[in-house]
Amino acid sequence: MSYERRGGYRRRPRDDYDDRRREPYETPEEKLKTAIIKLGEVDAVEELPRLQKQIRDFVPVNVANISEAIRTGVTEQPYKIPYYAALILLLHDRPEESTSSEEAPPLGRLVLEDFWKGFQAYLDKLAWRETRLCIHFFAHLTIARLISPESLVALLQAFTAVLDEFGVSHGRAKRAALCAAEGLIIGGPSLKHYSATSVTEIIGAIQAFNDTTNSAKWLVQPSVKVFSDAVAIENADELLDTVLFALKTLNDSNFAQTAESFPQPYTNLPAPPADVAPFNLPSVLVPPEIIELDALSTEADAEDTAQVKKEEWPEYFLRIFDNDISPDPNTPAGYAVRTALLDIISIFEVNRKECARLLLEYPKWNLPGAFKPKPGAPTPSDVEPVAGKDWQLESTIIETILGALLVLPESSHKSVYYISLITELCKLSPSTVGPAVGKSIRKLYGSLSEGLDVEASRRFAEWFAVHMSNFGFQWVWKEWVPDLELAVQHPRRTFMRRAIEFEIRLSYHERIAKTLPEAMQSPNAHTIPEQAPGPNFEYDDPTNPHHDAAQSVLNLFRGRAKAEDVIAHLDSLKTTLEGAEDAPLSVNVDATVRSIALQSLLHIGSRSFSHLLNAIERYLPLLRNITSSTEGKAEILSASAAFWKGNRQMVGIVFDKLMQYQIVDPTDVVAWTFANRAGGLDAFEWDLMRGAIDKANGRVVIARRRVAALRKEEDDVRARDNAAGAMDVDAEGDGAAKPAESLVDNPALATALKAFTSLTREQKGALSRTLEGFVNALSPADSDASAVTPNAHTRTVITESAWLNRANWDDEEWNAWQTWGWYRQFCRVYSPYLRNYSTTLYTVSFARLEGSENPAAELLTKTWNVATGQDLS
Amino acid sequence: MAHVVTPLDQPSNYKDSQTRVDRQKQNDLLSKSTTLYIGNLSFYTTEEQIYELFTKCASPDDGGGIKRIIMGLDRNTRTPCGFCFVEYYTHAEALASMRYVSGTKLDERIIRCDLDLGYKEGRQFGRGKSGGQVRDEHRQDYDPGRGGWGAQAQRLEIERRREVEERYADAQDGPGAVAGGGGDWKEAEGAPTDKKRGRSPEDEGDNTRTGHRTRLDDEMEAERM
Repeated sequence: MSYERRGGYRRRPRDDYDDRRREPYETPEEKLKTAIIKLGEVDAVEELPRLQKQIRDFVPVNVANISEAIRTGVTEQPYKIPYYAALILLLHDRPEESTSSEEAPPLGRLVLEDFWKGFQAYLDKLAWRETRLCIHFFAHLTIARLISPESLVALLQAFTAVLDEFGVSHGRAKRAALCAAEGLIIGGPSLKHYSATSVTEIIGAIQAFNDTTNSAKWLVQPSVKVFSDAVAIENADELLDTVLFALKTLNDSNFAQTAESFPQPYTNLPAPPADVAPFNLPSVLVPPEIIELDALSTEADAEDTAQVKKEEWPEYFLRIFDNDISPDPNTPAGYAVRTALLDIISIFEVNRKECARLLLEYPKWNLPGAFKPKPGAPTPSDVEPVAGKDWQLESTIIETILGALLVLPESSHKSVYYISLITELCKLSPSTVGPAVGKSIRKLYGSLSEGLDVEASRRFAEWFAVHMSNFGFQWVWKEWVPDLELAVQHPRRTFMRRAIEFEIRLSYHERIAKTLPEAMQSPNAHTIPEQAPGPNFEYDDPTNPHHDAAQSVLNLFRGRAKAEDVIAHLDSLKTTLEGAEDAPLSVNVDATVRSIALQSLLHIGSRSFSHLLNAIERYLPLLRNITSSTEGKAEILSASAAFWKGNRQMVGIVFDKLMQYQIVDPTDVVAWTFANRAGGLDAFEWDLMRGAIDKANGRVVIARRRVAALRKEEDDVRARDNAAGAMDVDAEGDGAAKPAESLVDNPALATALKAFTSLTREQKGALSRTLEGFVNALSPADSDASAVTPNAHTRTVITESAWLNRANWDDEEWNAWQTWGWYRQFCRVYSPYLRNYSTTLYTVSFARLEGSENPAAELLTKTWNVATGQDLS
Repeated sequence: MAHVVTPLDQPSNYKDSQTRVDRQKQNDLLSKSTTLYIGNLSFYTTEEQIYELFTKCASPDDGGGIKRIIMGLDRNTRTPCGFCFVEYYTHAEALASMRYVSGTKLDERIIRCDLDLGYKEGRQFGRGKSGGQVRDEHRQDYDPGRGGWGAQAQRLEIERRREVEERYADAQDGPGAVAGGGGDWKEAEGAPTDKKRGRSPEDEGDNTRTGHRTRLDDEMEAERM
């Protein structure tokens, strides 16, 4: 798709500057840098001598420039790291003619020393990925005998030391462990030779940390078996588990497989000059996490102000294919592929098109024979498939991307990134990527009945719909027709409905219906609604007793009457209704009038999202007037949901904007959702609650930023004043007294702090209300007579025997199972927020369950404890 | 991460050809922009379809979300003419759309996103002679999603067309014709019957937020070049 064609527009003279595409001028230094970064465009090994010469020929020597280029290469193109190590080795050779300056260290050494400074900078700012990739580089250089094994061991031990820090966060420990582990995987052959004990110690330290994460693993496994504490599950592997398996295999074989897992181009080059002792990496300390000591803590409870930390969980990656199709990440070679692909996916997130291209080129950077040659491509005669490898590239890539997409509780990037990346891969090589995608969909679909987590399954549906939207909605639905025999709430049927609903949102009803086999189109199939998702204005029906009243209101809205005039009209309408002779006593006239007004307003706003916004904005005073009470707020939500009962997307949008305009609060939405759910808790209800909680959390973020900005502004002003004051001879200003004073004279800051406090309270309220809702929905009926337990199965579906009998489950069992799934997701995804309030929330929701031996009560409490970090078994 | 490849979220050579804002200012605005221009839409694509796709780049837990969508309309017929503006609450969300959504399909057409200086009154209307977009004046191909050559349309799209033709018949211009979408949270001010709460306190908050009100006195048409 080319956007370059720009037909016939009037060019204005002053625009010329914008359009002239100039070749940017590159200095010789920049040219050299580019050459270094582009190493290996064709064949890295062949290009190395040429690049070495180019570097040496460049006068005057600029070591910093060379090392910066290599640093960029190492951290942004990790697949080239072995070749940069080889380059450093080549740069250790002394040119023949310069024998006179024997004492001068070789250029390679100078570059390495400068490179170290860059590494130190990455470490200082805890840029974990860059740090880890530099360690890869150092490990390769250790094998190349340019770095001393003892200094590499010490470096890796600096990272395992992190694992012993008191109260280390999971995220920090995980990243440090990976630094040590990957350095050991690559540098192992030298390290083991140097000190077998140190190797065992490093592995032992990682293992010891990993052993403390079992309960956290239980909460984020993508395949749910709540009754089982087993860490290993059939179709997924946890990241640290895999690296430990690989390390143990390597250690048992004295790291024989390192050479089979990573290219080592430097081993074919001459050894470094004998007079050059290996470089000793200086010793380091991994700096502590930067804890933003939040200045707000003076104003509010410390509990309320902690920063939100994410990615604090073990990472399970789903396996989709067998070990002969895609590598087993528990093996050294398989781990090497997995981590290389994950790094590419994460580094090139800025450009998914380049990312897709690089992924498909990946085999060039692995060892020959690791992947099957492209179908139809001439097979190089010297490349034999390697026993135990010969994997299928596209399947491996898709499996890795989907694994990253389905990481729980959240993927590192937005799901749409992974989705678009797969789309690009399909566009680049439809004939090879397409089948891998198709097989993955079938495999994931199959896993839906084996306990695929509800959140993973929701993301799967999202991927499916967006993917199909990019490829003409071509899916062979008829292969799933036999599953229409399953219970309506069975996860496979839930998936089909959801996927189709998401497809319709991206397209339109008729278009999607057309892609389905007849069996799925029938209303009894409960797969696609009969009607396009339109509004449902109940007063439209002339037989409705309030039809005329609604028309009168509608006409006012249509005529863009002023809000106060509508309010006045509604008052008179109320009087009329109250006075009506046939008015049944049971009818709540207030509620009726509110419903008429709201539905009419929504009707005006039903044409489009913009119409909705216009309607709401124009009648804000009216909306505020009729929603001043709690029941008014619940009613507006009910009226919206009823009006849009055929269109769940619109329900979500309306709720979101009602919160945005502060007609209702997030807590109202959560409460409404629990009160109005049908049976279990579906992904739709979850989306509504998530929207509400995210809104509450987002507002706190904004408020915190505002306070921080105002504080900074104030500090700057004060610093300026102080600077000015210092010059005054008679400056008596007492610095310590200033802050309190300025808070008084800074009304903006006072307002911001007040807002922050209110919003934090609202956040806590929304979280608390959600927790309470879940506990009520899932807790055993006998613990509290007043508790609402609409679903008797919440207690039974969590046992192993029940799970094994799931083929006989009916809708109610599946509903209960789903509700448990969303409770797990709530606890783990909002865990950073929940931890801040764990004491209060526990008291409110769990106190009454204490001591209960009911399995549901135990599971509720266990899940909570794991999520809030109080269960570290 | 920009040494090896060019990130997709860089401003392109798209611009509002009729803006009166100088280049430096434009760059400043773009580096904070929360608005995207979306091009190559089908005339039949609805705001809700756009919402569904673009909400995937939203970060509500970071104070973001879709603020509003402004459908580009034919100046004369008041029907969608193949472009729109999507405004988020945060700049990061606009960048995410550039990286993940621009160049993918919506309603079976490859759409294009560009960072925009921000919606200004009047920009929702096409600038072509016929009322639509300039690009459709010069288009040589048959494009069913953009009205075919003329009045042709595929069978399936007839119904969509009918709906679309009616949908924006009430579209207005002039100040306040386009909703703001709701601004930042504010402390409730006393009684709910406060009549001062007109329809656009949010819009004002908005201007102070971006801190730019460019002086654009005369008619500003919309449309990229």
